[in-house]
Amino acid sequence: MSILNLIKTAFVEIRNNKMRSFLTFFSISIGVISIMYTLTLIYSMNYRTRKAIEISGPGRLNVELKNRWRAQQEGEEVVNDFLTLDDAKSVRRNFPELYMVAPIITKWVRLSDEMFEQFVWVMGVDLEWVKRGWIYKMKGRFINQYDIDNYARVCVLIEKGGWIKKPRWLKFWKWKDRFQEYVKHNDMLGKTIALGNSLYKVVGVLKEPPAEKNPKTFIGFGGWEPNIIVPITTAQRFLSGWSNSAGIEKIYIDTGSPRTIEKYKRMVKQTIKSRHGTKLLFDVKDYREVIKSQLADKQRDMITVLIIGIIAILAGGIGIMNVSLATIYSRIKEIGVRRAVGARQIDIMAQFMVEAMMLGFMGGIAGVIIGFLGIKYLALKGNMDMLMLRWWMSVIAVLAATLTGFAASLYPAKVAARLDPIEALRYE
Amino acid sequence: MLKKMIKCENLTKIYPLKNSRGYPALKNINVDVKRGEFVSICGPSGCGKSTLLNILGFLDIPTKGQYYFKGKNVSGFTDARRSLLRRREVGFVFQSFNLLPRLSALDNVKLPMLYNKTPNREAGEKAINLLRLFNLEKKARNSILELSGGERQRTAMARALANSPDLLLADEPTGNLDSVSSSEIMKELKKLNQKGMTIIMVTHDVNLASMTSRILEMKDGWLRE
Ligand SMILES: Nc1ncnc2c1ncn2[C@@H]1O[C@H](COP(=O)(O)OP(=O)(O)OP(=O)(O)O)[C@@H](O)[C@H]1O
Ligand SMILES: [Mg+2]
Repeated sequence: MSILNLIKTAFVEIRNNKMRSFLTFFSISIGVISIMYTLTLIYSMNYRTRKAIEISGPGRLNVELKNRWRAQQEGEEVVNDFLTLDDAKSVRRNFPELYMVAPIITKWVRLSDEMFEQFVWVMGVDLEWVKRGWIYKMKGRFINQYDIDNYARVCVLIEKGGWIKKPRWLKFWKWKDRFQEYVKHNDMLGKTIALGNSLYKVVGVLKEPPAEKNPKTFIGFGGWEPNIIVPITTAQRFLSGWSNSAGIEKIYIDTGSPRTIEKYKRMVKQTIKSRHGTKLLFDVKDYREVIKSQLADKQRDMITVLIIGIIAILAGGIGIMNVSLATIYSRIKEIGVRRAVGARQIDIMAQFMVEAMMLGFMGGIAGVIIGFLGIKYLALKGNMDMLMLRWWMSVIAVLAATLTGFAASLYPAKVAARLDPIEALRYE
Repeated sequence: MLKKMIKCENLTKIYPLKNSRGYPALKNINVDVKRGEFVSICGPSGCGKSTLLNILGFLDIPTKGQYYFKGKNVSGFTDARRSLLRRREVGFVFQSFNLLPRLSALDNVKLPMLYNKTPNREAGEKAINLLRLFNLEKKARNSILELSGGERQRTAMARALANSPDLLLADEPTGNLDSVSSSEIMKELKKLNQKGMTIIMVTHDVNLASMTSRILEMKDGWLRE
């Protein structure tokens, strides 16, 4: 019997048993929906991780202070050292082969310009900083070595790229970034603005690409972004906030390759430790670990959904199996007749299996439709992960559902095919 | 062309029973049927006529003895090969019709052709022609449940002819019909026989049996001319 006729026969049977078909569809659909959700999440997390590493460098290490409060609890001795610019310099000196060693300082500072006043994040960097994550279009110039050596009071503003086409969910979002509005509506280049108590000249404006094209948009972690960049030396000397004159906040390092991360993690740690002894509690973190811990929550969610999905699809499969076995008994006579007019065992098997696979397939399609709409809805509501839905996920989900039908019907189909034709014909 | 269509040697069928040695339904049956013969089998109820027909139609296998069909010993054929013989070589009209009640008359007649890989279209056309032959074209779309006993019987006849078999096995094909329809069916069978189809028919009706070219009598599993 041709596959088309098998499908037709299966259709008739599915239509004749509406309730059981519906129940099977139902649980298969739930399974399919959760498979799609999980796939989207996995895909999104992979994408984000890849993008994050692409931006921050393949061999990224962050040197950071440990939580001070915890540090005091743990250490018996006085722990009162800060990371210093000299730490960064000595790492640079000891390991000239490192691709990037970028010391960083950040401050929450009052910006004022005539009528405008606003607290903003200001970041102090040196020239190494530009080596990773440079996604900007620059007007004017960036900070140079002269600025750093001379504590120059110059700054570079970062302007957001906006959206090429603003997503729907953002239109309901009333909050406006006042700083961005200010930068957008004023010609900032060459202007003088006040940060804290001193005046700075705006020597450059860095414009981010539109959000759709900005790899940072989809990373979605790593916290805030600074608004203004100044030379690190200037930040240390003139910007208010905690720190002694030498203190910095962290050092970004890129070894240039993931293979050397472990090695440099150890050696950088040693270098810094030898400069501070036990007075500094700090950590050299593998950035991949940082990403992982930031994604851990999502991973838990995902595993929960996946388990629900697997259970649902299994329940669907068991449903198919159970129902197929049960229907064999109501269809013994039919099987006998089909055998009598020339159906081989394999033809009977094919019939039962095609029917079950159709059940799985149709449940899968229903699930894909609902899942697709649901995920689109979540994306509309602002769930960035859900933007990562791809069409091939539907294909995989439907395939999984069909496969469930296949696997679940293997045994019942075999039982049906093995019936003796004569006995089946005699059955009333 | 081989003259002999069927040759049975010491065919024995013993139905296994739970608490005894088994019930012998056929005992040492030896019979030859030539191509183009029209054979009728008579005998009291329970003498083993349907059992014999099942074996001749490759539905059942003998406990002992050999069955040669067109010169080939089919006693040892696998299930799959016997299935292929069923679909290609024989048409079977069952005592109790054995139609699929949920399908239409047309779909029932199409069924053997679809298993024989006839394209759907062609099968449909042939099925309609067969139903017309038995005056059923008006009921072609009706489900079997909506047909009378006689109409069902004729549908079963049409289905048996679907794959144009060389051998037609008919188990009381007129059992549910009045005498007028019976003779209609007999006329149709005669016509098929004249076109060269070999027919073996089980019947209680002596009149009908006398219209065939050869009568076999069965009793308690024994067969004689
Ligand atoms: N599957 C079976 N198991 C046990 N005994 C069986 C089985 N099938 C048939 N028999 C027995 O074999 C004998 C022959 O049965 P069969 O159906 O061939 O009779 P028949 O000649 O066709 O009778 P009828 O004219 O009533 O149709 C009967 O006594 C029946 O009880
Ligand atoms: Mg009988």
